[in-house]
Amino acid sequence: MFLINCPYCGERDQQEFKAGGEAHIERPKQPTELSDDQWAEYLFMRKNIKGVQFERWNHAHGCRKWFNMARDTSNDEIKAIYKMGEKPPPQ
Amino acid sequence: MLNYKTATNGEINYNGVVVKEISPTMKLNLRGKKREFLTNIGKNLNLLLPTEANTSTISDKLTAIWLGPDEWMIITNDLVKKDTNEYQLNDLLFNDISKKNLGAVIDVTDQFVQLEIKGKNIYEIFSAGSPFNFNEFKDKKGSSGQTILNHIDVIVLNKGDEIVNLFVRRSFAKHLWSWIKDCALRL
Repeated sequence: MFLINCPYCGERDQQEFKAGGEAHIERPKQPTELSDDQWAEYLFMRKNIKGVQFERWNHAHGCRKWFNMARDTSNDEIKAIYKMGEKPPPQ
Repeated sequence: MLNYKTATNGEINYNGVVVKEISPTMKLNLRGKKREFLTNIGKNLNLLLPTEANTSTISDKLTAIWLGPDEWMIITNDLVKKDTNEYQLNDLLFNDISKKNLGAVIDVTDQFVQLEIKGKNIYEIFSAGSPFNFNEFKDKKGSSGQTILNHIDVIVLNKGDEIVNLFVRRSFAKHLWSWIKDCALRL
């Protein structure tokens, strides 16, 4: 269990949040021009690294807003939290 | 408020904790981001919507609770008529906000059950079932928050004098009611 600092509500318990997978994945502009492999790459392939990973989180039981988080997956340390649409902090 | 089977029955009164349902009150959910939305709401309600997180504002008739950066809940401080589900304020806002595409106005009167919890031991109950940090909340009248209580989504509002109002979705109200009763019995 850890505390997450929601950019809108402030510090809340992890129980109130839902993880939403990897962040900053851009939908291809012309999906029809992609091969099946390229489409599968976009749709299913995720980095799942050990170290700092950029993720989307949702404050599901609070303000219900989405935001981004840079989290170290090896020790759950939260490096940065920033709103949707903002650029990720330099690593 | 239309006729319905009540989710709660009577009053809980054990070990200095008193719980009762406040009904019927009007509840409206407001969503909007535009500046015209905020000025229009202010004009119609005679009440400024709170912009600071986890707070509320109050006028002589209405209370506005902050739910998110673009979402608020408006409740009446006093009881309303029981035999109707139409509210002048709802119509007014619907014409001024929804129809002009400035935001959304939704009547959530029947969706939420409003419980009044009173007593000096109430935070013992909250700490048993909620991960929310009530330290700042309990000292500040008017503070609010959306959190979980016994795995159920609730909105809490501090009314001062050891009174807290709890808004819970109607389908969960009976379960939460019996959980609070059980908690109060064991304090």
